[in-house]
Amino acid sequence: MTRKRIPETIFDRLLAIANTLSRGAMWVAGGLTLMSAFYISIDVIIRKAFNMSLGGSDELSGYAFAISISWALSFATLQRANIRIDTFYQFLSVRVSALLDFVSLVSLGVFIVYLTRYALEVAETSWALDSAANSTLATPLWIPQYLWAAGFLWLCVVLAIMLVRSSIALVTGDLRTVNAIAGIISAEDEALGEAEAGKRLIHGEPS
Amino acid sequence: MTVTLVILLVLIGLSIPVGAALGILGLILDPLYSMLPLTRAIGEIAWQTNNEFLLVAIPLFIMLGEILLRSGIAEKMYSAMSLWLSWLPGGLMHANIAASTLFAATSGSSVATAATVGTVAIPQIKKRNYNESLFLGSLAAGGTLGILIPPSVNLILYGVLTNTSVPALYLAGFIPGLGVSLLFMLAIWVCCLFKPRWGGEKIHANWHQRLTSLIHLVPPIGIFLLVVGSIYAGVATPTEAAALGVVGALILAASVGRLTFAMIRDAVEGAMRTSAMIMLIVIGAAFLNFIMSAAGITELITQTITGLGVSANVMLLVLVIFYLILGCFMETLSLMITTIPIVAPIMIAFGYDPVWLGIVIVILIETALITPPVGLNLFVIQSVRKSGNINSVIIGSLPFVAMLLLMILILDIFPGLALWLPRQFS
Repeated sequence: MTRKRIPETIFDRLLAIANTLSRGAMWVAGGLTLMSAFYISIDVIIRKAFNMSLGGSDELSGYAFAISISWALSFATLQRANIRIDTFYQFLSVRVSALLDFVSLVSLGVFIVYLTRYALEVAETSWALDSAANSTLATPLWIPQYLWAAGFLWLCVVLAIMLVRSSIALVTGDLRTVNAIAGIISAEDEALGEAEAGKRLIHGEPS
Repeated sequence: MTVTLVILLVLIGLSIPVGAALGILGLILDPLYSMLPLTRAIGEIAWQTNNEFLLVAIPLFIMLGEILLRSGIAEKMYSAMSLWLSWLPGGLMHANIAASTLFAATSGSSVATAATVGTVAIPQIKKRNYNESLFLGSLAAGGTLGILIPPSVNLILYGVLTNTSVPALYLAGFIPGLGVSLLFMLAIWVCCLFKPRWGGEKIHANWHQRLTSLIHLVPPIGIFLLVVGSIYAGVATPTEAAALGVVGALILAASVGRLTFAMIRDAVEGAMRTSAMIMLIVIGAAFLNFIMSAAGITELITQTITGLGVSANVMLLVLVIFYLILGCFMETLSLMITTIPIVAPIMIAFGYDPVWLGIVIVILIETALITPPVGLNLFVIQSVRKSGNINSVIIGSLPFVAMLLLMILILDIFPGLALWLPRQFS
C-alpha cells in the first residue's frame, strides 16, 4: 500500500485546494446574488418613488445570475448536492454502488465538457462578432459570457481532479473514498441535515 | 419514443445525476433522430436559460427563506397560532397546519417549512398527550404547503417551462392553497371527533394573551405583503418582488438582532448550493426539450396520446396516477422539471388551462413529498423526532394524502377556484 501513497496524497491535496477555491467562488457567487437583490430593490423603489430608473437591473442581474450559478456548481458538485435517484442504488452492494458512483461522475463530466465547450463557443462568437446586448446598456456580451463559461471551465478542472482521485480509489479498492467523493447522500441523511439545521435555527445558535 | 423513454429510465436508474442524465439523453438523441447536428446549440440554450430574468427569482426566493428561517420568527409564530387555534378538536395540530400555511406564504420550500415547524412542535406531543402518528402527519403534510402557496419556486419553474405567467400562477395558487390547508384542518377535526383521545390536552388562553400574541404574526405577514403584494399591485415582477423580500428579510433579521456575518454566510451558502443544483437540471432539461422538439419527438408523443381517443377526465386520472407512481421513485424537483415539458403540452391539448394545470401538478408534487418510499418530508419529520419508526409518520400522513387528492377532485369540478383570482387581475 505504501507504493500508492504518493499519488494519493498529491490528489488529496489538490482536492482540498479545489474545495477551498470552490467555496470561495461560491461565496463570491452568493455575494453577487445579494448585490443583485439590493440593486433590483433600489431600482424598484426609486422607479416607484421618483419615477426614474437606475436602468438595466434585469439585464445585469441576469448576468450575475448566470455567472454565480456556473461558479457555484463546482462547490455543489464537491458537496455531492447533485440530485441522483437512488431507487435501485440503495439495494446494491457497496462494490456495485461504488462503480455507479464512478459512472455517474464520468457522465456528469461528459455532459459538463460538452456544455463548457459550447459555452466557450458562445462567448468566442460574441467576441468575434463584437455582439452587444439589445438594451440601453448595450453590454458587450463577451464579458458576461466569458465569466460565465469560465465557471464551467473551473467545474471541468474540479471534475477532473475528482475523477482521477476516485479512479485511484476504485483501482486500489478503497471504496470508502469513492463514496466520500462521489457517493449519494441518502434521503435519510439529507433529511437529518435539514432536521439538524432546523434545530440549530430554533435554538438560536446562528451557525 | 420508446427508445427515448428506455434510455432515460436506464440513465436515471443508474443513478446518474438527473441534470447530466437529461443532457446526455439529448446528446444521444441528436445523432439518432435529427438531420442536422443540434448539439452545438447547447451553449446558446444554456446561456439563454441561465440568463433568464424570471429564473433569477429562484436563488432570491431560496435566500429569502434561508434568512427568515434564521431570524427566529417560526417559534413565536407557532406559539401565537397555538393560542388562537388549540381550542379546536385536535388542538395544537391545527396550529401545526396554520403555522405551516403562514410560513409557506413567506418561503417557497416545503422541506424547510416542515423542519422548522416540526422542531418547535414535536416536543408538545408527549407534553400534551397527542396521538403521535396524526400529529407527525400534520407536520409532514403542513410542510408541503410551502410549494403551493405563493411565493413558490416550483410555480416559477412551471411558469418558465410552459411559458405561463408566474403572477397568474401565484394568484391561482392562493385559494387552492388555503383550501388544502382548510381540508387538512378538517381531516384533523374529523379524526378527533371520532377519537377524542387523539386530540391531546387543551391550552387555555384568554383574549388578552391571544391579542398580544398577534404581534408575532406581523413579521411573516409583513414579508408576505411586501413580496406578494408588490406583484399584485403591479409594482414589481416576481423577480423584483423576490429581491425586495430578501432585503426586507435582512432588515427584519437585523431588527431582532439575528443578523450576523455567519448567518448571512450560511444562508448564502445554502441558497447557492440549492440554486446551482436546480439550474443544472433546468439547463439539462432545456437542452433535451430543444432536441426533442427539433426531432419532432415531443409532438409525436402528444399526437400519440391525444390520438388514443380517451376523454379529458380519464387523462386527468392518468396524470394523477402517473405522478403518484413516479413520486414514489423520484425526488420531487427533478420529477417536475423532467416531466412538465412532456406532460403539459399533452394536457393542454386535452383542453386543460395551463394555469389550472400548474396548480394541479404542484398539488401532485405535494402528495409525492409525503408518500413513501422517498417522500422527503416524511424523512425530515422522522429525523427531527429522532425516535420510533418512520411508519407512524407515514400512517399519520395518509389522511392528508387523501385531502390533497380530494382537492384535485374539487379543482376538477370547480376549476374557478384556481382561475377566478387570476381573471380578476388580468
